Amino acid sequence: MEISTIKERISNVLTSILEHSNFEMHDELTAKDVDGWDSLSHMMIITKIEEEFGIRFKLRELNKLKNMGALVSLVQSKA
Amino acid sequence: MVFNSFDFLAFIIPVLLLYWLVFKKSDVSQNILLLVSSLVFYAWADWRFLVLLIASTLINYALGIKIAQTEEDKKRSVFLYLGLIFNVGLLLYFKYANFFYQGFYDILQVFGSSVSHNTLQIILPLGISFFTFQTLGYLIDVFNEEIEPSKDLLRFSVFVTFFPKILSGPIERAAGLLPQLEEKRTFSYPVMVDGLRQILWGFFAKVVIAENCAAIVNPIFNDYQAQSGSTLLLGTFFYAIQLYADFSGYSNMAIGVGKLFGIQLMRNFSTPFFSTNIADFWRKWHISLTTWMMDYVFTPLSFILRRHQKRGLMLSIVATFILVGFWHGANWTFVVYGLCHGLYFIPLVYSGKMNASEVVAEGKVLPSFKELGKMILLFLLIMLTDVFFRANNVVEAFDYFGKIFSGSLFDFPSILMGSNSLITLGLISLFVAVEWIHRGKKHDFELSTYPVWIRWSSYVFIFVLLLFFGKSAETFIYFQF
Repeated sequence: MEISTIKERISNVLTSILEHSNFEMHDELTAKDVDGWDSLSHMMIITKIEEEFGIRFKLRELNKLKNMGALVSLVQSKA
Repeated sequence: MVFNSFDFLAFIIPVLLLYWLVFKKSDVSQNILLLVSSLVFYAWADWRFLVLLIASTLINYALGIKIAQTEEDKKRSVFLYLGLIFNVGLLLYFKYANFFYQGFYDILQVFGSSVSHNTLQIILPLGISFFTFQTLGYLIDVFNEEIEPSKDLLRFSVFVTFFPKILSGPIERAAGLLPQLEEKRTFSYPVMVDGLRQILWGFFAKVVIAENCAAIVNPIFNDYQAQSGSTLLLGTFFYAIQLYADFSGYSNMAIGVGKLFGIQLMRNFSTPFFSTNIADFWRKWHISLTTWMMDYVFTPLSFILRRHQKRGLMLSIVATFILVGFWHGANWTFVVYGLCHGLYFIPLVYSGKMNASEVVAEGKVLPSFKELGKMILLFLLIMLTDVFFRANNVVEAFDYFGKIFSGSLFDFPSILMGSNSLITLGLISLFVAVEWIHRGKKHDFELSTYPVWIRWSSYVFIFVLLLFFGKSAETFIYFQF
């Protein structure tokens, strides 16, 4: 799948869970930079991304994610 | 050997002199001294379990390396499970065997069995809840490839046994402590002074605040049936303060002693009562335990239950807090304590405000009425829940509550007749005021930015209070856990 498509779909997931779109998608983006992306919403975002792409993450993979770029490549490797 | 004893003074002064004058050449020589003194310290407290501590260190060290060396996923998991079984098994055996044995016996009784039974005579090794959690966290981190395993047995042994935190924490993380042991520690006067200040404040919290509260609390709880509801309610107030002053005081002393050796241990309390909701409180109370539970229990659990959305999340929180309670000891009182705290989160999860951390009175001298109201309500809730923490059993706790909320709740509390409780209230006010002023700082007695005359008059003032109101104390509440 195209990286740009993945990014767009992840961005849509974030908007739907967090109920705002006050963030810019780039590789260095981290949860800390996004309003409302906390431990609580994190699991909901992850679940939604899994549903969106029909994939399953392992906890170990998630623990290692450092930023949006890493998330996008992880999704790409699975989708 | 407690920090507030002459024994400890006689122990720490020679160790410090050796550390900074004789063993200062390299990280290896410093670590050798730290290991030897830590083993002496532990043996001094209870030599019978020294073998256990050493065995735990060696086994976890070997397992860490094994996990990292193994490439195949299944085999890695086998080594991790071995580690989990070993560490959790130690805890279960030494800390919980009696509890389960009793439970098993009670079930047999229900079914009409008449098996005779004796309580198991198992003595709790000091610090076991703390050091096994530390090694558990280490193995999981290695398994998750978040850290490299330690390949230096000396360094790893200091990581496990470092004496300021062996008896009651903070529960250190490998990522925080191990790298500090890899480098030679250099002497820093400001760090040393900062450590001494933190020790002084912890000392004050323990021997002045906690011990004076204890003198009021113990007679009330030991003879609660004879007390009026109002006295019992005040008793819970003094106990909540005692518990906090005792454990935060201990933690400040432990962290301060760490600093004397140029080692930064993690913060354990961050003025928890200046919070406006329960999630915020737990972010600041016994931080080394709650972050541990967050990372190794709550996160995996909420990940497994992620398809159940908010319900999954709530279940994870409640289960995590039951475990937090149970960690304290093999008694239903702690289970109920944890369960209550877990349940208090539910409104927050529903309203989506769990992570909305509010900094109280940010940039202001005093809190707003709204903030003050929230803080007081939260404090009352925590204070009442602490009855479970203190009571000998659940029945007693409910009985205690029943007596609080009886007609005598409106009697004049007899404990306020004596001068002791009034003096203690005055001391508590001072304690709270100092913590309030320092709420945004690195610790509760961070005076480095003040002019010299304020610093020195503070030291003298605290010393005078210690002299007049300090009580000797043989133990800390958290030593039993």
